Amino acid sequence: MELTSILQGIISLVLILGLSPLFVGLVNKQKAIFTGRIGASLLQPYYELMKLIKKETINATSSSFISAVTPMINFIAVVIAAAMLPISFAHPLISFEGDIILFAYMLGLARFFQVLAAMDIGSSFEGMGAAREATFAVFAEPIFFFTVGSIAFISGFTSIYDIYHSIRLDNLSFVVFIIVCSISVFILAVTECSRMPVDDPNTHLELTMIHEVMILDNSGIDLFLYQYSSYIKLFIYVILEASFFYPFAVQSYTLGIIIFLVVIFILSAALAAVETITSRFKMKNIPHYLLFATAIGILNLLIYTFTR
Amino acid sequence: MQNILSILFCLSLFYLAVTPRVKAYVAVLRFQGILLTILLMVPFVEQFSVFAVILPATLFIIKVIIIPRYINKIILELDIKRTIEPTIQQFNFLLLVIFSFIVIFLASSILSLTTNIETIPFASGFAAVTVGIFIIIFRKKLIVHVCGFLVLENGIFLFGTAVASDLPIMIEIGVLLDVFVVVFLMGIALNRISSTFEGFDVTILRRLKD
Repeated sequence: MELTSILQGIISLVLILGLSPLFVGLVNKQKAIFTGRIGASLLQPYYELMKLIKKETINATSSSFISAVTPMINFIAVVIAAAMLPISFAHPLISFEGDIILFAYMLGLARFFQVLAAMDIGSSFEGMGAAREATFAVFAEPIFFFTVGSIAFISGFTSIYDIYHSIRLDNLSFVVFIIVCSISVFILAVTECSRMPVDDPNTHLELTMIHEVMILDNSGIDLFLYQYSSYIKLFIYVILEASFFYPFAVQSYTLGIIIFLVVIFILSAALAAVETITSRFKMKNIPHYLLFATAIGILNLLIYTFTR
Repeated sequence: MQNILSILFCLSLFYLAVTPRVKAYVAVLRFQGILLTILLMVPFVEQFSVFAVILPATLFIIKVIIIPRYINKIILELDIKRTIEPTIQQFNFLLLVIFSFIVIFLASSILSLTTNIETIPFASGFAAVTVGIFIIIFRKKLIVHVCGFLVLENGIFLFGTAVASDLPIMIEIGVLLDVFVVVFLMGIALNRISSTFEGFDVTILRRLKD
């Protein structure tokens, strides 16, 4: 790998790590505006993270070493996944043949350890949250493999960077295909980052929580790592979706960057709008909501398998 | 272009499989009507003829304006509840639909090897027929059965455009008239049933024996 591409990779990783709380702030601000409030400042997530660092870490007496190592493993796995993402035209830090599998399972590893840690603490609420998280993950994983996997299948590449580079918008059916894929990636993002129709990030009732309930007993630096990695995770999925619009960067780098930023802004508005106008689904309705996104992926795959 | 419209058609079928609301069924019917109209309008980009506008125009008026309005009116008048009341879990229903999609796409790709058909519109039409039948089988409400029937009919229409590029216009218009009359009769029947019995749950109708 050349020096410039390593530099590009480092810069994009730093951008992802630095800007992810800002994105959450943006979504929260827009949500506040939609509901007629002024809302917290855009930088509020940064302040919250700063506050958490200063606090003391307390572990439950019943917890084992798993609770101690999980926040770090969770954070590192998410950061490694973030290092594989191309921001617009930039070459990612980690990129090799077949890295979509590693990408999916790095996020899977993070979730696995989080579920383990929630069970480890021994609180019944957290066990319930872990059960829910694991159940919905079963339905969320096929979405990733059927959508991103189907683009990999069509383009013939297995690295995220190459896949996004092979997208061309001059073919009209490819445009529809990308739009359809971005619907299911949006549903995936909403699910994995426990946003509104699946999980309410602001809920205060343990019985209805999914993701938040698993980190109830964490504090201080542990909670900081969990929160920060959940911000990064949301940003990762947003970038995954925004990268579908990469082809605009072929003409000029500035146009590519501008469109990238515009798409990210539109996505934040879409997230905020969805969270404002919809209420949470009943727990039993979530599986078929997720299966719907999988169905879209399967449809893509079917169309491109049988009609070439 | 035909392929893109067919893909959108398939997406609307998936939406039908997950939505629990009667209103959404009517909205999807309207959406499918618009898709079919655009599908018929596509050849006009190259050559325009006044006579050929008749079919899309009739289709638009009947499928996008009259039938959805009529169904909405029935829903309002008879005060039908908003949920569709499926007889099996929505999750299983969607699995069934996905499975049938896979089988249909396989079958039509095999068919397209020997005969001259457009695979995607053919398969989507076929899928719409299947989903329409599934809706009629696995839902309790009569009004949803009417919607299922209309989806089935849309499927046959798409199917027709995939197999033969231009069917005689009179036949298509005749079919449209038939469909409209059937929906109209269904409405009258629904009115009758509701004035004679409480509600129109198909499971209760089973008890009507002579």
